[in-house]
Amino acid sequence: MTCRDVREDLPDLIRGHLSAELAGNVRAHLVGCPACSEALRSEEQFRALVQGYAPRFTAPPALRARIQVALRDAGRPPRMVWRARVRRHPWLTGVLVGAMAAVAVVWVGGAWLARDPVARLVSAAVDEHVEYVRETMHRPVPDAEELLRRVQSEAGFPLGPVFRGDAQAPLILATVTEVRGTRAVALVYRNGPERYTTLLLMPGADALIPAEDRLAIENFKPHHRVASSKHVLYWKQSDVAYLLVSDLDQSDLGAMFLKVRKPA
Amino acid sequence: MVEPQSDLPAAALNHLDGLYNLARWLVRDPAEAEDLVQEAYLHALRGAHQFQPGTNLRAWLFQILRNVFYTQYKRRKRDPVATDPEILDGIGADVYPDGDAARASGSADGTLRADLAAALERLPEEYRSVVLLADIEDFTMGEVAAIMKCPVGTVKSRLFRARAMLQEFLRDYLRDTPARPRGDAQDDPRFYEDRKPNP
Repeated sequence: MTCRDVREDLPDLIRGHLSAELAGNVRAHLVGCPACSEALRSEEQFRALVQGYAPRFTAPPALRARIQVALRDAGRPPRMVWRARVRRHPWLTGVLVGAMAAVAVVWVGGAWLARDPVARLVSAAVDEHVEYVRETMHRPVPDAEELLRRVQSEAGFPLGPVFRGDAQAPLILATVTEVRGTRAVALVYRNGPERYTTLLLMPGADALIPAEDRLAIENFKPHHRVASSKHVLYWKQSDVAYLLVSDLDQSDLGAMFLKVRKPA
Repeated sequence: MVEPQSDLPAAALNHLDGLYNLARWLVRDPAEAEDLVQEAYLHALRGAHQFQPGTNLRAWLFQILRNVFYTQYKRRKRDPVATDPEILDGIGADVYPDGDAARASGSADGTLRADLAAALERLPEEYRSVVLLADIEDFTMGEVAAIMKCPVGTVKSRLFRARAMLQEFLRDYLRDTPARPRGDAQDDPRFYEDRKPNP
């Protein structure tokens, strides 16, 4: 074996991944080759260093639980009994097809929502937004500091820094609410005539932000959807999940997002 | 590594920690890493019929994770760590799960861990992944090549270059290592280039 061959095989040699014969040949070469022996020593030393000292991250229990559920559902064996019965009684096919067609519409919608829990959340957030706009559109601008003080004391979870509103987007409502059974804080900003933005803050340690459909806004990439003609942004900061529902055009959405993402 | 297809979901969960560890090194932000791992598992479930029982499930899952990373993150040039101070803070906290005690105490182990973590962070992603897959996950060079979709020779070359860079970053810890002979052709990373991939 040449030094070149031996050096190529060193990484697999120290991991025990070489065949016995090849490992024997490499070791035979090493006995008579100080340079390759030194290369082996260096390789081993470095591997030990990385194995011993490189930080290793362990999957959080919440992630493990979520994936466990997904895998368990996927691992369920399909029910074969009905197939056998249909084979024995062909007339059942017609009945089954009719029934399945009727059920399909309901099932597909339900399955879609089950596979996409964010869709439910977004739908609920848009409903909240529409309701708040209806309630507050003629309301004068209140004292933002007083509103926030009150809502922070009632929230029941740490809100972190929040956007207090400004001349272009004054805060007109801050209230504790529930979004799909989760306690949340709703902040409503008026961006102009008939243009409002609702920001919902929820405890979000377990919230999963979908990896797809992200909107690049400066350095940030919140999840983005359009629902009922409203733009919806969904992201996480620390342990708080944020849902922003806005009547703004996409061109103005970024500026509003930045105001709430980086409050002064 | 034989895993009948019906046992695939249960077997797949055994590799969660390794996948999450690689995901953390790829995207750095804990929440993004969770998203990435979850997405990888969903891809694996959708493509379960493509998995051939008897082949290497672990390598297959890691390959999917990297594919998802490249298609959904890298392509969009996500690089949260360089820009988002919140994420930067998060990295420090997670690299030292026991707090800053080790660093503050100045213990040799704590300092080495910190410096090694920083050195790994400085490596290009392809180099860092090779080191993590080969040294932490203990994949063979052939498996790393399959996961990274590149020839084995390229993996060896990257591993060599990664080691050289880490040795440079960590030279204080490795100063006892005798200097390798200069002018040795095999010390040139090109030594491993242009080699035909292993069959």
